[in-house]
Amino acid sequence: MNFFKRAWLNVWAKKGRSVLLILVSSAILMFVLAGLLIRSAAVKATDQAKADVGATVTLSANRQAAFKKMQSSSSSTSKSSRPKMTLTPVKLSDATKISQLSNVKSTNVTSSTTVNAKSYDVVSTSTGMGSSNGGGPGGMKSSASTGDTQIDGVTATSLTTAFSNSQSKITKGRGITAADKNTNNVVIEKDLASQNDLTVGDTITVKETAGDKAKVKLKIVGIYKASSTSTSASPMSADPANTMYTSYTLANTFKGSKYANTADSVTFNISNPAKVSSVKKAGKQLINTSKYALSTDDASYQTVKASMANVKSFANKIVWLVAIAGTIILALIVILMIRERRFEIGVLLSLGEARWKIMAQFFTEMLMVIVVAVAIAGAGGKFVGDQLGSQLVSQSTTTQTTATSSTGQPGGSGQPGGTRGGAGGPGSTNATTSAKAADTDLDISVSAVDLAELGGFGLAITFLSIMIASGGILRLEPKKVLIS
Amino acid sequence: MLKTEGLGYWYQDKSEPLFQDINLTFEVGQSYAILGHSGTGKTTFLSLIAGLDKPKAGDILLDDRLLKKIGLTTYRRHDVSIVFQAYNLFTYMSPLNNLLTAMAITEAEHAGDKHFALRTLNDLGINEDLATRNVQHLSGGQQQRVAIARTMACDAQLVVADEPTGNLDEDNTKEVIAQFQKIAHDRQKCVIIVTHEPDVAAQCDHQYRLENKQFTQLA
Ligand SMILES: Nc1ncnc2c1ncn2[C@@H]1O[C@H](COP(=O)(O)OP(=O)(O)OP(=O)(O)O)[C@@H](O)[C@H]1O
Ligand SMILES: [Mg+2]
Repeated sequence: MNFFKRAWLNVWAKKGRSVLLILVSSAILMFVLAGLLIRSAAVKATDQAKADVGATVTLSANRQAAFKKMQSSSSSTSKSSRPKMTLTPVKLSDATKISQLSNVKSTNVTSSTTVNAKSYDVVSTSTGMGSSNGGGPGGMKSSASTGDTQIDGVTATSLTTAFSNSQSKITKGRGITAADKNTNNVVIEKDLASQNDLTVGDTITVKETAGDKAKVKLKIVGIYKASSTSTSASPMSADPANTMYTSYTLANTFKGSKYANTADSVTFNISNPAKVSSVKKAGKQLINTSKYALSTDDASYQTVKASMANVKSFANKIVWLVAIAGTIILALIVILMIRERRFEIGVLLSLGEARWKIMAQFFTEMLMVIVVAVAIAGAGGKFVGDQLGSQLVSQSTTTQTTATSSTGQPGGSGQPGGTRGGAGGPGSTNATTSAKAADTDLDISVSAVDLAELGGFGLAITFLSIMIASGGILRLEPKKVLIS
Repeated sequence: MLKTEGLGYWYQDKSEPLFQDINLTFEVGQSYAILGHSGTGKTTFLSLIAGLDKPKAGDILLDDRLLKKIGLTTYRRHDVSIVFQAYNLFTYMSPLNNLLTAMAITEAEHAGDKHFALRTLNDLGINEDLATRNVQHLSGGQQQRVAIARTMACDAQLVVADEPTGNLDEDNTKEVIAQFQKIAHDRQKCVIIVTHEPDVAAQCDHQYRLENKQFTQLA
């Protein structure tokens, strides 16, 4: 094809002009690439967030229904005794059915209670009753229905929000796992351990608060460190250091025999956060909704998703704005170029060259320029994308964080608050969201796909600009070259 | 070989044609000069002959075939070769590549034959050193000779030139006209040259003057 050779001769002979065109095209494409990179990074981050942040569906007693029942019974009965709100413990058989639904990744059974310290001293907050009551091993408190030690029975500590968010960390030994079912293994807090000089392998004794108030020996398998932010956690136990993790079976044992195979709540981790509501819907078919309720928590995912959707739409706007502006700029350049080259076009026409081949020559020339520009932009686009990306993420996450912290604070630490009823209500894990969102750094790297997409944009921009400018070629009368 | 039948042309006003009812015949192996004052329409006439524009009235026939039937682009590609006063060449190429490009576009017999192109240039005094430089580094006379070499390298039977010597000095003018004569006589082509120099016209086999909208043959 002769026009291909002409294009090459032209680009090569007019090096200065070619370099200038390459620079302009590179600048345009660099911004296109930056937009593409941010967009694909946002998509990646959203996918990552799906896997990382996760979302949960929690099965617990239906508090609202129970509350209504309590009210109606109190008004109908003539007895003056205080009406009691009875919360039906969750049946594990129900939980097993739900756990078999698709998209349920793992299941965490939570059953909480309190016991009283026997062989050790609880950590007491410096204010209040004074720290000198360490001598008495919990004696005077034992009559109360609430003990001084919080027992959080779980399937596995790693499945709890506190541990999966790294708010709490195992520092020695190991956490509670599914294998600890039906054992007396316990994980205690670091401060409690150091105060009582306890370590992994030691045994402690506690006294039940319910039933026969039996003494039970527990074996320490791990020590964890509670995060400082969880200090304000619970109004019931004096200090978060007095919270111990055991298997839910042990917690049920403490509560009494009628609590066997039950739980305060069961949390299902959903593999794909986008499927949360469908799991909830399917789960509702399997339970008695007058006694139990399913609540969802995908706030973390929603926050990351919203933040990334912002970034993505912004990136999309950049891509299209730059592409359109770039097309116009290049079209103007090509129009000027064609004007400057009207004698050459006239000679080509007088030789009998087809007009489409003249356009093909211009297109090929621009294509050669664009290929080099894509390479340059590929190298430079990462830099621009890096700058823009970090700017965008810091902006969008700060706005998201302020939004969540205002709603999320009351829930506090996200500790599995078993005895407090409907654990894992929407508020309770919100505070962790901001931390997660901030973690979601945009991972900007130029992949082959990005370059291919950039090449596509380059091609489209070139093609369109030549098309726009082609009027100049199509309208040019060869006679004009004779009569100038 | 080339015939005009009732040829007429005007720009805006039909009642004020540049020329009208022109019946002329041009033969191969002959050279023709067209003289006339400035603005009489010589270039316009040539653009019709060269297939760069369509007549407003009448017809042009090449070997009894209507130009509009052949198609102007095809006609320009295969049947006519044009030399302008200036801007004849691709400025971003060497003389050699100018010839090769023209030969490729016009699908000439020797298309792609580098040695043929170099030989043709050499016949017109453009040696290989000059032939491989950029054309912008050649003098005006040399550039015009490259343009003539181009018409020789292509197979078109008809060669038209609009003031080909307009930018040249006396010596170069003589040389260029001599080459056109050679093209007509040795290569058996039909050469039509527009000029306002009587000396140039005198060297051609036939002379026409465009005056009062008509062509008159000079003795
Ligand atoms: N595109 C156009 N529109 C209107 N009038 C035109 C156009 N081109 C040329 N003319 C007019 O037509 C007339 C003939 O022009 P043309 O170029 O053919 O003359 P010419 O004989 O070649 O003159 P010169 O010897 O100066 O080259 C002139 O008066 C010119 O002004
Ligand atoms: Mg003229």
